[in-house]
Amino acid sequence: MLKMKNISKVFRTEVVETHALREFNLHVQEGDFVSVTGPSGSGKTTFLNIAGLLETYSSGRYLLDGKDVSNLNDTARSKLRNEKIGFIFQSFNLIPDLNLFDNVDVPLRYRGFNKTERKERIEHSLALVGLSNRMKHLPAQLSGGQQQRVAIARALAGEPRFLLADEPTGNLDSKMAFSVMELLQEINSKGTTIVMVTHDPELAQQAKRNIYVRDGKVSELTDNSGSSEYQEVVNG
Amino acid sequence: MLGTLEMGPIIRSLTRNKTGAVLIALQIAVTMAIVLNAVFIIGERNDLIARVSGVDEANSFQISSTGFASDFNHMQTLEQDLLDIRAIPGVVAVTTINAIPTSGSGWSMSLQTESGENKTDVGTAVYMVDQNGIEALSVELIAGSNFSENEIRYRDGNQEGWPQNIIITKALANDMFPELDYAEVVGKTVYINYTEPMQIIGIIDQLQAPWIGWNKLENAMLSPEHIASGDFSRYFVRTEPGMRDDIMLQVEELLAKRANERLVEGLRSFEEVRERSYSRHEAMIQILFVVMITLVSITGKGIVGLASFNVNRRRKQIGTRRALGASKAQIIRYFMVENFLITTFGIVLGMAMTMGLNMTLVSVFELGRMNLMYLPLGAICFWLLGQLAVFGPAIKAASTPPALATRTV
Ligand SMILES: Nc1ncnc2c1ncn2[C@@H]1O[C@H](COP(=O)(O)OP(=O)(O)OP(=O)(O)O)[C@@H](O)[C@H]1O
Ligand SMILES: [Mg+2]
Repeated sequence: MLKMKNISKVFRTEVVETHALREFNLHVQEGDFVSVTGPSGSGKTTFLNIAGLLETYSSGRYLLDGKDVSNLNDTARSKLRNEKIGFIFQSFNLIPDLNLFDNVDVPLRYRGFNKTERKERIEHSLALVGLSNRMKHLPAQLSGGQQQRVAIARALAGEPRFLLADEPTGNLDSKMAFSVMELLQEINSKGTTIVMVTHDPELAQQAKRNIYVRDGKVSELTDNSGSSEYQEVVNG
Repeated sequence: MLGTLEMGPIIRSLTRNKTGAVLIALQIAVTMAIVLNAVFIIGERNDLIARVSGVDEANSFQISSTGFASDFNHMQTLEQDLLDIRAIPGVVAVTTINAIPTSGSGWSMSLQTESGENKTDVGTAVYMVDQNGIEALSVELIAGSNFSENEIRYRDGNQEGWPQNIIITKALANDMFPELDYAEVVGKTVYINYTEPMQIIGIIDQLQAPWIGWNKLENAMLSPEHIASGDFSRYFVRTEPGMRDDIMLQVEELLAKRANERLVEGLRSFEEVRERSYSRHEAMIQILFVVMITLVSITGKGIVGLASFNVNRRRKQIGTRRALGASKAQIIRYFMVENFLITTFGIVLGMAMTMGLNMTLVSVFELGRMNLMYLPLGAICFWLLGQLAVFGPAIKAASTPPALATRTV
């Protein structure tokens, strides 16, 4: 599903060079639920951005769904993001001037679905997150947990194979965080592969596997489900 | 390929955030109303300026002479001047004349087809010329005949009465005898000063009156006489093409030979005379142009400003859209469509304001009514202006990195 081999990312400014990722290796299989933890600045978001084709990498090899993505142009990368990847952000990133229906509609329009299909998908995914009766509400009229549910509905509406979440519960209290986590687990149980960055060790443990990132590298890999194939996974 | 146009969401988003958009739409509407009316006025003024006077404009000039010596013999001077000027190589014709077409000053009279007071009359400019007037003015005699040399009389100051024969323009013929073909007007008698009869002996194709703002500008008559009062005479000279400026100097030199007896002045090409009269129109056109360009560039900058502001304000949103799969082209299109909607709103408003302003101008300044074709043409121009103005900010928006979605809080 996702295979990274010796990925490095260097940010260059006039004054400094930051090695955000160094020889980063990871293999995530279809149906997996991986949580990513690590100290601030260790490269978690950088990894997630590269995995989600939001950023390019400096060197290494990245296969998404068996396909090498290093030579894709911007349009092709946008299309892949749109079709295969769903994003969930720490601060929800809903569009404040659009109601929930229109917010979930955003990626579907880029996809080129027709009106009927979009409507079906929007209603279905808002139902999935339990917000069917709020479709005409604006984001500001919802609680944080509800907003994040809308963002999840938006990420799911296109039925991506792959869900990427950067601290999806970072702005939520523990109760709301827990319910979001439950939702993610439910989604994962239906087959969607999830990679989630989190600061919360308790939540991290609820994923199937956890990777600990330090200094731009995977330094530790824990299997929460008791399976023993992780060593192989680390070595790619 | 690019998915849907996002019209619905863009409209809903605009209605929730309307202040900036409404201000720009209003600006577009006001600009459109002013610009279209300005273009219309410029068009009308240009039409006025483009009217032909009937004379050989490029190759004609005037000069005048006023005797001041106590023993100045006006009649003799006049006849000698005409002979001398005509003898200059390159001079096609010369006539004495009391006033110059389009110059702004002249003489007008009323003619009527029936004798007596309280009859309908028609206004006309009066040009007093000799038998060479037609040739010098370069007008075409399209019916009847010219004056003969011996019927040219001297009109001195206290003379009563008018010559027996006159020549009139086709426009004046039609004005006085609307039911007749112009050729049939030859031989008709008309009355001046209510009861004095004159016979129309010829019709000329066209000759404008001195007053360019007059609604009877094409009404003119030729009267066979030399002005003989005040020892003043004005000559109207027509030259071969390209020789006017040379001959102007020669004629001035010739008349100035007797500078101790007379004042030679008013040497002016016809083009200069005409330009002076139309200078007000030219100035108006220039002012309107400046107004138009200023307004359009202010509005263009306003659109760029609002779009840039929106791009900066929505950076996070644009990054998120990119993360969710929008291509650069789709981001650019978003701003173009948004601008198109705002501009369309402005244009609809602008059309109403354009007509309103035109109606005001019609009633206050007696301007013409605007051709409705101005509206769709104006709409297209303002749509283009909007799209052009928003293109830069849209490109800038499209370059927003998708990573902004995760990098900023
Ligand atoms: N656009 C950028 N330009 C320069 N340096 C950057 C940029 N983005 C990230 N970095 C640097 O790269 C390193 C890794 O950053 P990253 O955001 O991946 O860390 P993180 O693990 O997500 O941290 P946090 O837990 O605080 O979110 C940091 O040192 C950061 O300062
Ligand atoms: Mg981070």
